[in-house]
Amino acid sequence: MISFELAEPKTLNEAIALLDAEDPEVRPISGGTALMLMMKSGVFRPSRLVSLQKVEADYSRIERGSNGSLRIGAMASLSQVEHSDEVRRVAPVIEKTMRHLSNVRVRNVARLGGNLAHGDPHMDLPPVLSSLGAKAIVAGPSGQREILIEALFSGYYETVLKRDELITFVEVPPQAGWSSSYIKCTTRSADDWPALGIACSLRIEGGSIGDVRLMISAATEKLTRLVSTEKVLRGQKVNEATFERAGESAMAEAEVIGDSRGSASYKSELVRVYVRRALRQAGLGETQP
Amino acid sequence: MTIHKPMPAGQVGRSLPRLESREKVTGRADYVHNIRLPGMLIAKVARSTVAHGRIVSIDTSAARQVEGVFAVYTGEDIRKIIPEPYYGPAFHDQPILALGKVRHVGEPVAVALARDAHAAEQAAQLVEVVYEELPAVFDEVEAMDSKAIVHDVLKPAGTFPDLKHLHGKKNTNIALDFHLRRGDVDKAFAGAAHLFEHEFHTQQVMHTPLEPMVSLAEPTRDGLTIHTSSQSPSFVRIEIARLLGWPENRVQVKVPYLGGGFGAKLYIKLEALVAALALLTRRPVKWSLTMEEQFYTISKHATTFRIKSAVDAAGKITGRSCAVYWNGGAYADIGPRVTQKSGFTAPGPYDIENVAIESYSLYTNRPPAGALRGFGIPQLVWAYESHTDLIARELNIDPVEFRRMNILREGRPQATGTAMKDAAIDLVLEKLAERMNWSAPFDRGGGTVRRGRGVGIGFKASISPTTSVAFVNIYADGSCALYMSTVDMGQGSDTAMAQIVAEVLQVQAESVRVIHPDTDVTPYDMATLGSRSTFHMGNAVKLAAEDAKQKLEAMARSVGVPEGSNLETREIFKKKYGMQAGNVMGVGSYIPGYKSPDSVSGMSDNITPFWMIGGTGVEIEVDTETGHVKLTKLVNAADMGRPLNPRIVETQLSGAAIMQLGFTMFENMEFDAGQVTNASFADYKIPGIHDIPPAIENHIVLAEQGGGPFGAKGVGESATFGVSPAIANAIHDAVGVRLTDLPLTAESVLRAIRLKAGNPIGD
Repeated sequence: MISFELAEPKTLNEAIALLDAEDPEVRPISGGTALMLMMKSGVFRPSRLVSLQKVEADYSRIERGSNGSLRIGAMASLSQVEHSDEVRRVAPVIEKTMRHLSNVRVRNVARLGGNLAHGDPHMDLPPVLSSLGAKAIVAGPSGQREILIEALFSGYYETVLKRDELITFVEVPPQAGWSSSYIKCTTRSADDWPALGIACSLRIEGGSIGDVRLMISAATEKLTRLVSTEKVLRGQKVNEATFERAGESAMAEAEVIGDSRGSASYKSELVRVYVRRALRQAGLGETQP
Repeated sequence: MTIHKPMPAGQVGRSLPRLESREKVTGRADYVHNIRLPGMLIAKVARSTVAHGRIVSIDTSAARQVEGVFAVYTGEDIRKIIPEPYYGPAFHDQPILALGKVRHVGEPVAVALARDAHAAEQAAQLVEVVYEELPAVFDEVEAMDSKAIVHDVLKPAGTFPDLKHLHGKKNTNIALDFHLRRGDVDKAFAGAAHLFEHEFHTQQVMHTPLEPMVSLAEPTRDGLTIHTSSQSPSFVRIEIARLLGWPENRVQVKVPYLGGGFGAKLYIKLEALVAALALLTRRPVKWSLTMEEQFYTISKHATTFRIKSAVDAAGKITGRSCAVYWNGGAYADIGPRVTQKSGFTAPGPYDIENVAIESYSLYTNRPPAGALRGFGIPQLVWAYESHTDLIARELNIDPVEFRRMNILREGRPQATGTAMKDAAIDLVLEKLAERMNWSAPFDRGGGTVRRGRGVGIGFKASISPTTSVAFVNIYADGSCALYMSTVDMGQGSDTAMAQIVAEVLQVQAESVRVIHPDTDVTPYDMATLGSRSTFHMGNAVKLAAEDAKQKLEAMARSVGVPEGSNLETREIFKKKYGMQAGNVMGVGSYIPGYKSPDSVSGMSDNITPFWMIGGTGVEIEVDTETGHVKLTKLVNAADMGRPLNPRIVETQLSGAAIMQLGFTMFENMEFDAGQVTNASFADYKIPGIHDIPPAIENHIVLAEQGGGPFGAKGVGESATFGVSPAIANAIHDAVGVRLTDLPLTAESVLRAIRLKAGNPIGD
């Protein structure tokens, strides 16, 4: 029998203590939807799994701050996030994203923290949360730190998290005055991993783009902010010509990778079209009160 | 939608819900995966990492060291039990474990056994094999004259008489070549007003039954019991007995429900290895594949199809030549049958005077290919219905009208010379035209969303000649049971066959007990394949029920019950035996007539006992900026004679069409040096609920099959035929580009649109 240890600590601090900064065979497990696949395929063989299922209930709570911010516990399930009134009031784009994120069975089990920490560039929430300006609160043996979601990923399936750090909360800043959209593209079945995800948030001031956050995922090695394209957008009128220019800029800026979902040159075409469509959706959509 | 009048007893033609549905949805149905036997060992295999190579050495010492490992065996160990360990339905070419050579990545090379699956798996991973790599061939056309030869010598099984001439043939990858010549095709081409020539390709795909293959062998005192997820229990028994040199009666094969088959679980798959292991270890041995391993076990042929047509000034097709190359992979499986049985329908359901067909079954170094829901027909229809549409467009004739002008009508000879009989091809086409509202103006969309529509029709011959036997046993209380070896893998055969028994015996179908395949109990059946069960087993079941009825009537007469009496059956038994005792056993055996094609001309005047006819029409939207194709409407129509159970028929039609939709739009086994790079559901996508078109219609045309049980025939594959070309034709209709390779991915659509616009996308 090939065995491993399954620890079920009751507190976050115990969980952190059970992790190991040096040992890649020791890993935390929350919903396990990704990790179980890795174990099944033999990509990952643990010596110890630290289950987070029994840590304090605080880490699954979703709260809205008086200033309109949002604080989501990392152990909240994706369906909890999907069905939360607080989430819907602050950032309706999250709820819309959830409806097409994997399937209801996965959403019932997968947790927000695990979804981010997995580092998979094909996930939907990293582009959405980063376009909202969200950050992760991270706890480790030496205390707590904050990491912007857009800075969380260091490569393909890689994050800046240390092996003994855990995401505890995700904080979304107030969204008043912003309008957001997320569109993704699958090229095989509808429930396939996306070939491309584009998330954007626009702050529109008097018919012009006051500020913008534009994120690309799935087609690139890791979640990437399209900084040059944002510059093309800032201060411009909200109209089709602006979106068109942004699409062209994004196509030139994004370093897309070809895979079985499409060649790099095809995905570049998709970037142009989807950036334009995402901007159109956000630009013509309602801003948050 | 019941358009046929009900039969007298009201059982045939009734949309009875499946008999097993409650058992299945409550999780009580039996599957081989659930069986655990005392002392049972789990097998895990070590698989080849190279596509073609000589085995230099196999080191199992590290594998044997794994804690809990019972044994590790190679091909040489299998020889201790089975001296000639090669199996297969058409060729005895597949070794139980590789011997001397490997011919595809993923071929089983060694096996580890342990009580614990994880220990067996770890041990299998520790088997070290050294290969001397050989040049490999992967493409079916290259295999025709490749220097890389997959099999040193051809070994036809001898089961099929028309393969005997291949015995001992060397230096070829052609496992079978089928030729048909009718009229003078060269003369037709020379005198044609128009000539059209195209080449089409299909990709290798997999059946993906959600219950992966699993077999369990249990040694008995002087024999073997094999529990297996198989579509062909009778064949498994015969083949295992042959391998072991035993009489059939020492091998018992039992099959409970299957979680899907689609042709993947046919003939012999895992059974030979578990049988050998059970005899080597004297323990029950179970081998369950993972979904990933199935990709290396059996698949659907990739094909190249070159088609050329001559058309006269009036739009009549006067000649057609077809060259079809079937990529059979490393082992023949049933590929040679696909090559011939489907090959002779390659010109399509059209009335063409001059025809030439060449159909080649080729060995390559890919995973083996066999039968998959349609037995090669979807690959052919893809090409000939795309080709037909291209001709119609080129000649500026409406595609439906062009088909009407050339369709093969009742009584006219098909390419083989067999006259079409009970083949409602015209009704299927007209039903599609009607439901697609074909003659009305069509909204073609605008801007970046363009709309189009298309149709495709196809036909298939039944696999013949094959035998089915059934028993109907009436018990002393008047209740009855049906004993048959047809496997219910989800298609609803238990229910349909119970309806046949019930119609004859005038009882409720729900009260008929269906005994599942157990070769110790249920009689011979060739296999559950090729939509043959309704016709062949249906006839056997009807004969068995009629035999039982006649014997019961004779029994009644023998005890003085007057003719036409309504005395209950139990009372007849009581009069006969003095108490509740005895049986009435009805036996039915059926084999249809058949004439094998002439070895030179390929002609036969009785090539099939019945034809399956299916067609599909689609309406689609194309996003001209991304190439995405969205199906907005899918209409299937088929001729299955009289439907035994209209509701089940409809689900067979929609199920087949949706499966083919996956093969059309995105399913694709991708390879790198013979290794499948997407062998898992994470990367090999099949249609999900969001891929289902918002409008699906399934139509049963009003027809009757002569010689079929109550006028019925098979339907499990018919809705696969037209789907792929209908969609490609609709894409052409919408955006004016023609795709000739499956799958029709968004990328290939966009590339074609941009190429046509003079603004191509780079590589």
